[in-house]
Amino acid sequence: MTSVRQTPDQASPGPASQGPASRASASRASAARVQPTALMSARYQRAFTLAVMFLVIGWHLAGAGGQLLRDRPEFPSFAFQGLMWVVMALAIAVGSALVLRGAPGWGLAWAVVLIMLVASTAASVATPASQLLALNWAWGSAGWTGVLMLLRRRFTELAAYLAVLAGATFGVQVWDGLNRLDLAGFLAVLAWSTGAQVAVAALVRALDVAAGQAAAAARREDAARERAATAEIIRAARQARKLVLQEGAVPLVAELAAGTADPGDPRVRARCAVQAARLRRLLAESDEVTGALVHELHASADMAERRGVAVEIETAGALPQVPGPARRVITDAAIAIMTAARSHARITLATVLSESATVLSESTVLSESTVLSESTVLSERTVAAGIAVSFVADTGASVLLPLAGDGVVIDHQQDGGLLWAEARWTSG
Amino acid sequence: MDQRVTVAIIEDHPVVTEGVASWIRSDPGQRVMLVHTARDLAMLTGVAADVVILDLELSGELVTAQIPELVAGGYRVVAFSGHTDPAIVMDTLDSGAHAYVSKDEGREHLVEAVLAAAADRPYVTRSQARAMLADERAARPALSEQERQALLLWFQGMSKASVGRRMAISENTVRQYISRARAKYAATGRTAPSKDALLARAIEDGVIKASEIAPYRSFARGPDDRPG
Repeated sequence: MTSVRQTPDQASPGPASQGPASRASASRASAARVQPTALMSARYQRAFTLAVMFLVIGWHLAGAGGQLLRDRPEFPSFAFQGLMWVVMALAIAVGSALVLRGAPGWGLAWAVVLIMLVASTAASVATPASQLLALNWAWGSAGWTGVLMLLRRRFTELAAYLAVLAGATFGVQVWDGLNRLDLAGFLAVLAWSTGAQVAVAALVRALDVAAGQAAAAARREDAARERAATAEIIRAARQARKLVLQEGAVPLVAELAAGTADPGDPRVRARCAVQAARLRRLLAESDEVTGALVHELHASADMAERRGVAVEIETAGALPQVPGPARRVITDAAIAIMTAARSHARITLATVLSESATVLSESTVLSESTVLSESTVLSERTVAAGIAVSFVADTGASVLLPLAGDGVVIDHQQDGGLLWAEARWTSG
Repeated sequence: MDQRVTVAIIEDHPVVTEGVASWIRSDPGQRVMLVHTARDLAMLTGVAADVVILDLELSGELVTAQIPELVAGGYRVVAFSGHTDPAIVMDTLDSGAHAYVSKDEGREHLVEAVLAAAADRPYVTRSQARAMLADERAARPALSEQERQALLLWFQGMSKASVGRRMAISENTVRQYISRARAKYAATGRTAPSKDALLARAIEDGVIKASEIAPYRSFARGPDDRPG
C-alpha cells in the first residue's frame, strides 16, 4: 500500500522531481507569472525613453552646441548665449535623471520644460534681429526636451508646450520687426523641427502600445504552457490513482456487488467512508500544484486512514512555500489531531492575505492612450503572504497541541466532541 | 393549493438522479416536489419548474456555458457537480447559477440550496466559500475582513454556530456576512437575471445596502457583457 501511494506524490512537483512537474513548479504562484510580463513591457518602454534621452542630449551637445560655436562671432554677447546653453544643459541633465527614475510628475516635468522655454526665449531675444532664424540654436533643444519630459503625459500637454515655445520665438521675431521673408523662414523651421518632434513623440506612443500588446501575448503564451504542463501532471496522477483504486475501493465495491459485504454493517459503512474520503483526496490532488506541506499533511491523513478515520483535505488559493521549521510545527499539530480523531477529520489549507505586500501588476488599460504611463506602474495589491492550516475532527477529549513557534500561531476551540484547530503561518 | 417548490433534475447518471430524488423524498417537510428528470438539456424544453438541479458534466461535456440560456428561460439553477475546482465553481456562479453544491455536499446541502434558490436567497456551500477565498481575479469584489473570516471558518469545516462563537457574533450575523459576500459576487461579472434577482432579494432582506454594491457593478460592467 505504502509503495503504491508514493506514485502520485512523485507525479507532483517536489524538489527532486523532473519533467513536466518541475516545469510547472517554475510558475507555481500566479503572482510570479504576472511579474515578468509587466517587467518586459516596462523594459521596452524604458528603452524608448533612453532613445529619446540620447536624442535630446546629442541634439543639445552636437546640434545646438556646434551651431553656437560656429556662429560665435555673430552674437553681441557670446557669454550670455553660452550661459543660456549651460542652463539648458543643466536642465536637460536634471530632466534625464528624473525620467530615468520613472515618469516624473506634473510639477517636475513642467518645471524643467519651463526653464528650457525661458532660456530659449532669452537666447532668442539676445540674438541680432535680422539673423534670428539663421542663428537660433536654442529652439530645437527646448522642443526636444519637451518631448522627453512630456512623453508619457497627455499629448495635449506636449502640443501646448510646443505651441507656446513656437509662439515665444515668433513673438521675439514680431518684436524685432517681421517681414515676409522672416515669416516664411519661421514657418519652414516650425514645420521641420516641431514636425519632427511631434512625429517622434507619436512614434514612441505607438511603440508603447505595441510593447504592451507583446507583453500581453507573452503572458497568454505562458499561461498556455502552464496549462499544458499541468495537464501532463494530471495525466500521470490519474494513472497513479487508478493503481490506488485497485488496492482499496475496487475490492470493496466487488464485495458489495457480490453480497459478501453488507451495507447495513457499520464496519462496512466505515470502510466505505474511508474509501470515499480517499477517493476525494486523490481527485483533489490534481486541483492544485501542491507543495511539501500538503504532502506531509497527506501522510498524516494516511496514518489516520489506516485506523479507519475518513479524512478530507482541501486547499483554497495558491499556497505559499512554508519553510521547514514552521512546516514541522504544523505537521506536529496534524499528527496530534489525526491520532486523536475517531471517525472523521477535515484538513484545509487557505492562503492568508497581507495588505502590506506589493507586487508588480499589469494594469488593464494598455489600449487607452491617455493612461499609457500607468500601464506598468507598481501598484499595491494583496498577495498570499501566509497560510492557515485548519483541522476539524471528532477527537472527543481535548488534544495536546504543540507549542506555537517558528512563525506559526496555533489556535483552537472545542465544540462538544468536535475540535477545531488552526495553525497560521505568516512570512516576515 | 400546493406551495411546494418544483424542481427538475438534469443528470446523465440514473443512479445519481435516484439518489437526489431520495434526498428530496426524505425531506421531513416535503418542501420540494420533483416534477421532471432529464438526461440532457434538450429534454428540459417546455418543462415548468422553479429550480433546475444541473449536473455540470453531461456525457463528458461541461455545460457551464449553457447556464445563461437556462437562466434566461426563467429557471433558477443549482449546480450539482463532482467538480470542486474553484475556477469551475466561479465560472458557474458567474454564469448565473444560484448555488453550487459539490457531490460530497449533496446530502447535507442540496435540498436546502434548492429552497434558498427558489426564494432567490444566497446559499453558500463550503465549496463555494473555497472558490471565493481562492479568487484572485482582478475584478473580484472587495470583501470585508469579517466577511472573509466568516467564509474562511465556514470553509474550514466549522458549523455556523461554531463560527459565531469563534468570532464572538451571533449565528445570524455569520449568515449575514456569508450572504453579503455572496451578494457582492452576484453584483460582479456577467449580468444575468438570476443575479439581479439574488441582489434585489438581498437588498430587500437587508443583507446588503444598494450603496455597498453600486461601485462594484459599474466597475465590472464591460463592453462585452452579455445582454440581459
